[in-house]
Amino acid sequence: MTVAQVAEVAEVACAHCGLPVPAGRITSERSFCCTGCEIVAQTIAAHGLEQFYALRDEAAPARTTDRGYGELDDPAFHEVHVTVGADGLARAALYLEDLRCTACVWLVESAPRCLPGVVDVRVDFGRARADVTWDPRATQLSAVARYLDRIGHAPHPYRGLDRDGQRRREDRALLIKLGVAGAAMGNIMLLAIALYAGLFGGMSGEDTSFFRWASMLVAVPALGYAATPFFRTALGALRAGRLHLDLPLSIGILAGLGWGAANVIRGVGEIYFDSLGMLVFLLLLSRWVVLRHQRRAASAAELLLALTPSRARRVDAGGPVDVPIEAIVPGDRLSVLAGEVIPVDGMIVEGRSALDVGLLTGESRPVDVTVGDRVHAGTANLAGPLVVEATAVGEATRVGALVASIEALSTRKAPIERLVDRVAGRFVVIVTLAAALTFAAWSFISVELAAEHAMALLIVTCPCALALATPLAVTVALGRAARRGVLVKGADALERLAPVRRRPARPLFRDNGPESTPPRDTSRGTVGTIFLDKTGTLTAGRLAVVSWRGDLDAAGLAAAVEAGSGHPIARALVAHAAPRGTAIDVREELGRGITGLVHGRRVDVGSPAWVRARAAWRVVITDWTAELAERGETPIAIAVDGVPVAVVGLADPIRDDAAEAIAALRGLGWTIELLSGDDERVVRRVGAALGVPSASCHGGVSPEAKAAAVTAARAHGPVVMVGDGVNDAAAMAAATAGIAVSGSAEIAIDVADVYLRSPSITSIATTMTGARETVATIRRNLGFSLVYNVCAGLLAVTGVIHPLLAAIVMPLSSLTVLASSLRSRAFRHDGGRTDAGAGAIAAADRGAR
Amino acid sequence: MNALYVVLPLALLVAAGAVAAFVWCVRSGQLDDVDTPPRRILFEDVGVNPRPHEDGARSA
Repeated sequence: MTVAQVAEVAEVACAHCGLPVPAGRITSERSFCCTGCEIVAQTIAAHGLEQFYALRDEAAPARTTDRGYGELDDPAFHEVHVTVGADGLARAALYLEDLRCTACVWLVESAPRCLPGVVDVRVDFGRARADVTWDPRATQLSAVARYLDRIGHAPHPYRGLDRDGQRRREDRALLIKLGVAGAAMGNIMLLAIALYAGLFGGMSGEDTSFFRWASMLVAVPALGYAATPFFRTALGALRAGRLHLDLPLSIGILAGLGWGAANVIRGVGEIYFDSLGMLVFLLLLSRWVVLRHQRRAASAAELLLALTPSRARRVDAGGPVDVPIEAIVPGDRLSVLAGEVIPVDGMIVEGRSALDVGLLTGESRPVDVTVGDRVHAGTANLAGPLVVEATAVGEATRVGALVASIEALSTRKAPIERLVDRVAGRFVVIVTLAAALTFAAWSFISVELAAEHAMALLIVTCPCALALATPLAVTVALGRAARRGVLVKGADALERLAPVRRRPARPLFRDNGPESTPPRDTSRGTVGTIFLDKTGTLTAGRLAVVSWRGDLDAAGLAAAVEAGSGHPIARALVAHAAPRGTAIDVREELGRGITGLVHGRRVDVGSPAWVRARAAWRVVITDWTAELAERGETPIAIAVDGVPVAVVGLADPIRDDAAEAIAALRGLGWTIELLSGDDERVVRRVGAALGVPSASCHGGVSPEAKAAAVTAARAHGPVVMVGDGVNDAAAMAAATAGIAVSGSAEIAIDVADVYLRSPSITSIATTMTGARETVATIRRNLGFSLVYNVCAGLLAVTGVIHPLLAAIVMPLSSLTVLASSLRSRAFRHDGGRTDAGAGAIAAADRGAR
Repeated sequence: MNALYVVLPLALLVAAGAVAAFVWCVRSGQLDDVDTPPRRILFEDVGVNPRPHEDGARSA
C-alpha cells in the first residue's frame, strides 16, 4: 500500500507577488500564483508600466474580478455620483481596494496614459480614494473601472463624500488654529526674551510696558481663538456633568490670559503669555497628530455595499437585463451565474449548485443547494447557474441585518473610562481647592499677593504634560506597531487590549461547591478570554489536499479533469499537482463528482459513493475512505478506467504558527476559546491539534450566537474576539476588543480594533504585549507630569514661582514625557519582556517583516 | 529707541501676513492630503514620464 503525506512541491516564485506558485500553475515561462496576479502582470506589461516593480516596497498577491461595471454608466448612478464640469469633463470619486504603497498610487495614477479619454486620476492614499476626471464623449466610467480592476484595485462607488466633507472642514479648522497658535507662540516668545533680557539688563519702564502691551495684543486674541476647541469640550463635559481633561486646561489658559491682560493694563504683576503660547501650541499639535492617526470608519451602508453586488441580472419576459441592485423588489427573479455572488435573500426556483456560505457561517465546505432552498445575499455561487426569486433585498437581507446589528453593537461599546480623564477629574478638584486655600492663606498678608499666587498656581499647574502623556505614547506605539504589520486603530484600542490583570472573580456564595467554578490557573489569575474563530483565522480558510492514499500518479490525471472547474475541491486538487494532459469530454455532476477523458483514459473524481457506483470497488478503498473520514477530512475517490486507485483527504489546513500563537497567549494569562460556525467535530479536532481542551471548542455557532457568547463572557472580564469573516464581525463589535487577521473581509477589518497585516497570527500575542507596554508608558507619563505639577504647584503656593521659571519648567515637563514615550518598549524589535516564550515573539517578528 | 515703535508693529504685521498665507493654503485644500504627495515625488526618480498614449494601450 502506498501511503504518502503531501510533500511540498518545488518552489517557484510568482512572477508578480513572489509567493510560491502551486504545482498546478507552474509553466515554462513566467508562473503566477493565482489568476489575479496573472491578469495584473499582463495588464502592467501590456501598458508598459513595468516601473511598478521598481517602485513598490511591499509585494502581495493581486486580486481581480471579471466584473463589467456596467452599473457605473447607469444614468441613475451618474445622477448621484458624477459631476460634469463646464469644460464637458466628468468627475467621480471611487473607493479602491488594496492600495498599499507608492507603487499602487503610481500605477493607478498612470491610468490616463493607458486609457484614451481619461484626463486625470488623483489618488488620496489615506482615504483609499481616487478622483477620476474623464471625457464622457471619449470613454465611459465603466472602462476606467475595468482597467482599475485589472491592475488589482477593484473600485467601488465612493459613498462617504458627505462625511468626508464634514471631516475635511474639521481638519482644516484645526490646522488653521495650529498655525495661528504656532505663529503666536513664536512671536510672544521673541517678545518674552526681550522682556527677560530687560529684567537683567535694565529696561526703561516705557519700553517694558510697550513689550507687555504687544505680547498681550498678540496673545489674547490669537491664543483665545486657537484654544476654542478646549473651551468647547470643557463646556460640553461640564454640561454633561462629567470631568474632562480639557477642563483644567481651559481653566489654566483662561486664568493665564485674563490675569495677564489685567496685569498689563494695571502695569504691575507677572505675565505668563510665553508659557501659555507654548502650551496651546503643543496641545493642538498633539491633537492634530492624534486626528491624523484616526482611521476612516465606514458607515453601515458602505459596508453593506462592499459585501453584496451592486447590480443584478433580472429575468424579465424578454430575457435577463442588468439592473442596479436598488431596482430589485421582492418577487423579482434573478439569474446568478457560477462564480457570482448572490445579491439578495431568496429562494431557488431553477437550477442546482454548490454555495460558498463561509461569509455568513464560516463553514469551510460548500453547501449543495437545489430548487426550493433558501439562499442569502453575500454567499457565492460556485458551480452552476441559478435562478433566484428575491424575498428580501438591501438592508432587509440577513447580511443587512447583521451589518445593522454590528453598527448597534459598535455604538453601544461603551468608551472605556480613559485613564487620563480619570486623573484629570481628580486633578481639577485638587487644583481648585489648592488655589482657594492659597488665596485664603495669603490674604492674611495681602489680598493682592493672594490673588497673584492663586493665579500663578492655576497657570503653572495647567496640565500640559498630562495632555501630552497619552497621545505621545500612543503615537509612538502605533507607528512602531504599523511597521511590524499590526494596525491598531487608536488609543482606546490599546487601552482595551491591555486589561488590568485581576484575580479570578470570587463568588459571594459558594453553595455550588468548588467543582462548579471553571478550573483556572490561579497562580497567574486570568486577564480575560480570547475567542478565536477557526476558519480563516486558525486555519488557511480554504480546502487543500492534506493526505493521499493510493496511487500518487493519479494526482496529475485528477488535476487535468478538474482544471476547468471552479469548485473548491477542484481548486485544491489543481493546486496540489500539475495537470497531466488536457481532459476532454468533461462532465460535472454537482455535489457528486466529475469525469473526463485524459489521454484516452476515463478518469472519475468524486465522492466515494459516486465513484463506487461507476467503478469496480476495492475493499482497501473503503478502509482508506473510513480512515480519512475518521480524521475529519473530506474523502475524494479517484478511479482510472473504472478502477479506483486513490483516496484523497481534503481539509482546511491549520496555520503553521497557530499552536505557537495560542501558547503565547496562554503565557500572557488569557483563557482560550474556539468559536466556529463549522461542524463541532471539526472544531474539536482543530482544538486538539492546538492543545485547546474540547470543552473550550464550540462548533456550529451562528454569527448571532457568536456575538451572544462574547456578550455573556464580558460579564466575567475583558473579552477579545479574533476572526476574519463577516460572521465574526458582530462578535468583534460586541467584544472588549476585536482583532482581524490578515486576509479578513473588509467589514471585519472595519469593525476590528486591530488588523494584522502580516499573515503570522503570533503577532496577536505581540499586540497584547505591546498594548500592555503602551499603557505602562502612559501611566509613567502621567506620573511624570503629576510630579511636575506638584512641584510647580508648591512653588506657586509658597510664592517663589516666576514667569521665567515657569517658561523653563513647563517645556521641560513636556520633553520628559516625550523622552519617556520614545524610550517605551512597546512594539520595539527586541519585543519587550513577556512571560510568553521569546520564540513566539521572535516568530512574530519574522512574520511581521 | 523710537525705531522700536515702528519696527515691532511692522514685524508683527509680517507675521500676520504669514499666518494669512497659511490660512489661505489650508482653505484652498493644499494641506488636505498629506499622505500621497510624499509618495508622488518618488515617481520622477524612477524616470517615469508620461509616455504618449499610443503604446499599444488603445487596444486594451
